[in-house]
Amino acid sequence: MIIGKEEILPGIFKFEFKVSSSFIAEAEPGRFIQLEVSHGPFPVTRRPFTISSTYGKSVEIIFEVVGRGTEVLAETDVGRSLRLLGPLGRGYLLNPGKWLLIGGGLGAAGFPGLTAKIDSGLLLLGAASRDKLLTIPGLETVAITEDGSSGRKGLITDLLGSVRWDSFSGIALCGPVPMMKAVFEMMPFPAQAITQVSAEARMGCGWGVCEGCSVPKAGGGFLKCCSDGPVFQAESIDWERCEGIH
Amino acid sequence: MADPYRWSFWKREFNSPILLASGTAGFGIELMEQGFLEGAAAVISKATTLKPREGNPPPRIIETRFGLLNSIGLANPGVDEVLKILLPQAADLPCPLIINVAGEVVEEFPAVIERLEESTVPFGYEVNVSCPNVAAGGIAFGASPEIVERISTLVKRVSSRPFSVKLTPNEGSIVESAKAAEAGGADAVTVCNTFLGMKVDWRTGKALLKRSVGGYSSPALLPLTVARVFKTSEAVKIPVLASGGVNRAEDILELLAAGAAMVQVGTWLMRRPDAAFELREGVISLLESDSP
Repeated sequence: MIIGKEEILPGIFKFEFKVSSSFIAEAEPGRFIQLEVSHGPFPVTRRPFTISSTYGKSVEIIFEVVGRGTEVLAETDVGRSLRLLGPLGRGYLLNPGKWLLIGGGLGAAGFPGLTAKIDSGLLLLGAASRDKLLTIPGLETVAITEDGSSGRKGLITDLLGSVRWDSFSGIALCGPVPMMKAVFEMMPFPAQAITQVSAEARMGCGWGVCEGCSVPKAGGGFLKCCSDGPVFQAESIDWERCEGIH
Repeated sequence: MADPYRWSFWKREFNSPILLASGTAGFGIELMEQGFLEGAAAVISKATTLKPREGNPPPRIIETRFGLLNSIGLANPGVDEVLKILLPQAADLPCPLIINVAGEVVEEFPAVIERLEESTVPFGYEVNVSCPNVAAGGIAFGASPEIVERISTLVKRVSSRPFSVKLTPNEGSIVESAKAAEAGGADAVTVCNTFLGMKVDWRTGKALLKRSVGGYSSPALLPLTVARVFKTSEAVKIPVLASGGVNRAEDILELLAAGAAMVQVGTWLMRRPDAAFELREGVISLLESDSP
């Protein structure tokens, strides 16, 4: 059941759902849910949302209205019940120490839950403008926007020059494919090796069966975003073949 | 389950008319682990080919206003891996497993089935003649009744088990193809497969699926399936397995009334992995409320 709904930025919503305690126990950062956004037959398939965070017996997601599925969901009111599958997929492999989180736009939506599980961290956050810049509490944050409406003006890659890569024990990267590819390619090799990315793909089932959500795999072939991921070692993805997917 | 309702095909009786359609249930293993096979008479596996196929480049799936387009490209690990890894796991399924078989040339179908005969797991086969015939410039095998009959004859020769031929609605006459399958020795026909579809972004002029066209499925297609089931079941004596557009118990009863022996549920299973249970309950309760 939807127990909270807030438009946190124009066209960007935070929804809170009441869930079971077994759900909460399995809701590791980076995992996702499949939501049946409509009670009617259309949209036919569910829509995947990364788990943003969990509180007590509720789970939060953050999403932008980008198509019909998210449009229908955004129009749904508190008190309605929606069928929810999850938590699904594989989340972040956590290790102790300081983490670097790099988020582009809505890619940072899963970071609140991750923040709660790591010892300490630094967040580099980029967005097109202030209107698209999420607030992730509890982390030292350096923000940059393409139009300069908040933080520095520029692209997230402009922040990478001053990063002391060897001071982090883990790196989480999530955002649009071109942004993730550019960031990954600018990293020194040891940093690439400790980077995990949260990938995104159009999904069918969400539980590993339909093979709809393929992500190009380094060395050839494909990974299933829903069940091999959505969190992958950045090195396991073939970034060249990812171009133009979305 | 004390209800008296039974459905049968291939000399076997089931307490449900529901088959899980190829490509939407894997080999049933994931669904079994979740307890979601209750209510299913049988699972039809994803397509199996002679060699492994990595499938089409993404995006492979896109939803349109009233249905789903997919272009998976028959991604599968190949028959060796299916025999070695998947079938041993599927031996524990609580219901029979029908293996869907695909190929690029006519000879691939019997070759795959000859290998599958090594396993005791399959209950039968479903032969997918909707895929492109590489030797005929990519036109689907199912477009030609002669080729459908030839494939059926070749499969019959190597198979100790019953098989259904999964027909295409996109090319040729589905009734003529059904008759050809029967003449070649098929034990059923599946009517039918997804409809060729495409979505284009008019701003960029580009297709949203990487391979441009794909298979379209939707609850809105139900009347198209009903018509094809009606026409083919009048033309052949072998069972017709209906497939396309099912998402309610009423749809299942409608297809059975139109001439189907069993009814497949596909795309809806992606939304509701436990659909078989819900739909069977629905079917039984409609039959009970309707009985005098």
